[in-house]
Amino acid sequence: MMAVASIRSVFAGRTFAQIGLVWLAFVALAAIFSPLIAPFDPYEIDPIARLTEPGWPHLFGTDHFGRDSFSRALYGARMTVLIGLGAVIVALLTGGLVGMLSAYFTRLGHVLMRGVDVLMAFPALLMALVLMTLLERSVMNTIIVIGVVYATTTARILFGMTLKLKGEVFVDAAVCSGAGHASILFRHILPNLVSPLLVQASFIFAFAQLQAAALDFLGLGLPPEVPSWGNMLSEERIYVTRAPWLLIFPGALIILSVFSMNLVGDAMRDSIDPRFKDDIAGV
Amino acid sequence: MLFYTIKRLLALIPTLLAATMLVFLFVHLIPGDPASILLGDTATPEEVAALTRELGLDEPLWTQYLIWLGNVLQGDLGTSVFFGTPVLTVIADGAETSILLATMTMVWIVLFGVPIGIVSAMNKGRWIDQITSGGAMLFASIPTFWLGLYLILLFAVGLGWLPSSGFPSLTDTGGVTNLRYLILPSLTLAAPNAALIIRLVRASMLDVSREDHVRTARAKGLRPSRVAIRHIFRNALISVTAAFGFTFAALVSEAVVTETVFSLPGIGRLVVQSILRRDYPVIQGVILVIVVLYMFINLLVDLAYARLDPRISLK
Repeated sequence: MMAVASIRSVFAGRTFAQIGLVWLAFVALAAIFSPLIAPFDPYEIDPIARLTEPGWPHLFGTDHFGRDSFSRALYGARMTVLIGLGAVIVALLTGGLVGMLSAYFTRLGHVLMRGVDVLMAFPALLMALVLMTLLERSVMNTIIVIGVVYATTTARILFGMTLKLKGEVFVDAAVCSGAGHASILFRHILPNLVSPLLVQASFIFAFAQLQAAALDFLGLGLPPEVPSWGNMLSEERIYVTRAPWLLIFPGALIILSVFSMNLVGDAMRDSIDPRFKDDIAGV
Repeated sequence: MLFYTIKRLLALIPTLLAATMLVFLFVHLIPGDPASILLGDTATPEEVAALTRELGLDEPLWTQYLIWLGNVLQGDLGTSVFFGTPVLTVIADGAETSILLATMTMVWIVLFGVPIGIVSAMNKGRWIDQITSGGAMLFASIPTFWLGLYLILLFAVGLGWLPSSGFPSLTDTGGVTNLRYLILPSLTLAAPNAALIIRLVRASMLDVSREDHVRTARAKGLRPSRVAIRHIFRNALISVTAAFGFTFAALVSEAVVTETVFSLPGIGRLVVQSILRRDYPVIQGVILVIVVLYMFINLLVDLAYARLDPRISLK
């Protein structure tokens, strides 16, 4: 298991991954403290201040409703963290559980993994789009849809990794000492999978941002008034020639965050058990 | 190999059937009466009753599925609510744009992805590798539509070199020169995928370069470039081939966004517009076509993989 002390060794000598980690910490802080930092109400419409250039007091300028972009970007960090963590939790809980159970109970696995194969036949964004047509546009539904999309790959990865561990001597030892199935799965196998799971989680987090932004852009993600970086881009894209800053700031925020998460995931992947390295695709 | 091909084809059938079942169920998951959903809001009660009879919507779900599957196998995917024409025709209309866009994108991916990946692997750890690997990861982190918007802003609005949107058919006036409409969209679509191929080529080349035959090649004094191409890259290509199925899926997904940004009359934009128009027969039809196509591409990739690496088919 990756102890706190070893985090240092994971990131030692990786300047870019360190910078990425610092940036992600900034995003997390902005998400937590956005109501305290934000100079304006992100929903407040001010028709007189429409499309103001960046400056004081509107650091990132204002959008075509006259809403303060900096405040919206700060609240957007909330959506970033919420959707990233939400998608990770949904994907790991559903997909992870399916993968582990499938590898452990071979018969069940035959059925479940065929089901996963079927779902994998639907390209990611297409599946998300189809699910969103059946559901209402809301934060919760966006999280669920993106999480479900990545559940399939997660199931496959965990299936492979659990299968490798199942043949290990320590599992035999646990069986011999009379441990039950639940105990073997969750007390003996799962702890060995924590670090690869963290790596997988970081990649899901990164991809989820791009998917959420794409859904927002297509008008099928979060409700349009919700301040998210994807919505900011989607709402203001027709003003790109008149007010290019409206797309530069949220765009840069998405790119920086996804890039940072990928760098962090990449650094962590290099430090996990080499047996599992090939299981996790990432970027 | 023949045995393996047959085995894989047979294995495809249950997955294919299950996937078609999901696509079929899609219309039934939408709240409301399926016949009214398929006909849209303007349908008269008589039309609804007629379609209910035709599709056997008062029969059990199983019978309905079989009727639907029978229609699909005869090329009848239903009628578009919005266009009033058969769904298959609507999809065929978008096919030219989407196929050309995908082909052009693949050209960029191979043209940029493969050589940069090779150079990156040959210079592992040096500055050139750090720039290309980092750059690839950066490109994989950019939202497709954002990149597209800024390419339009730079090359279409700013410099005026290329058209910003739309795509007239190759049979329209302009002929082959109409392909210039697809340059910016295909570059947009290629960027994140080329980035993945760069990282993949690099990783698999580094894997192969640790093998004994590479050491032998080096030991007998071959030029490094020859070792890289003939001995490492040829073998690395095997695992790169396997990634092309994945690339197809990524292309389909991102084409939805790219075609929307550039207003291209392709299948990707058709999906989005059909969703916004609630044109469910078209949504269902497009998903079916894409899923079946994706499965066959994956099959072809697997077969190519087995052909390149005979060990696979013996497993």
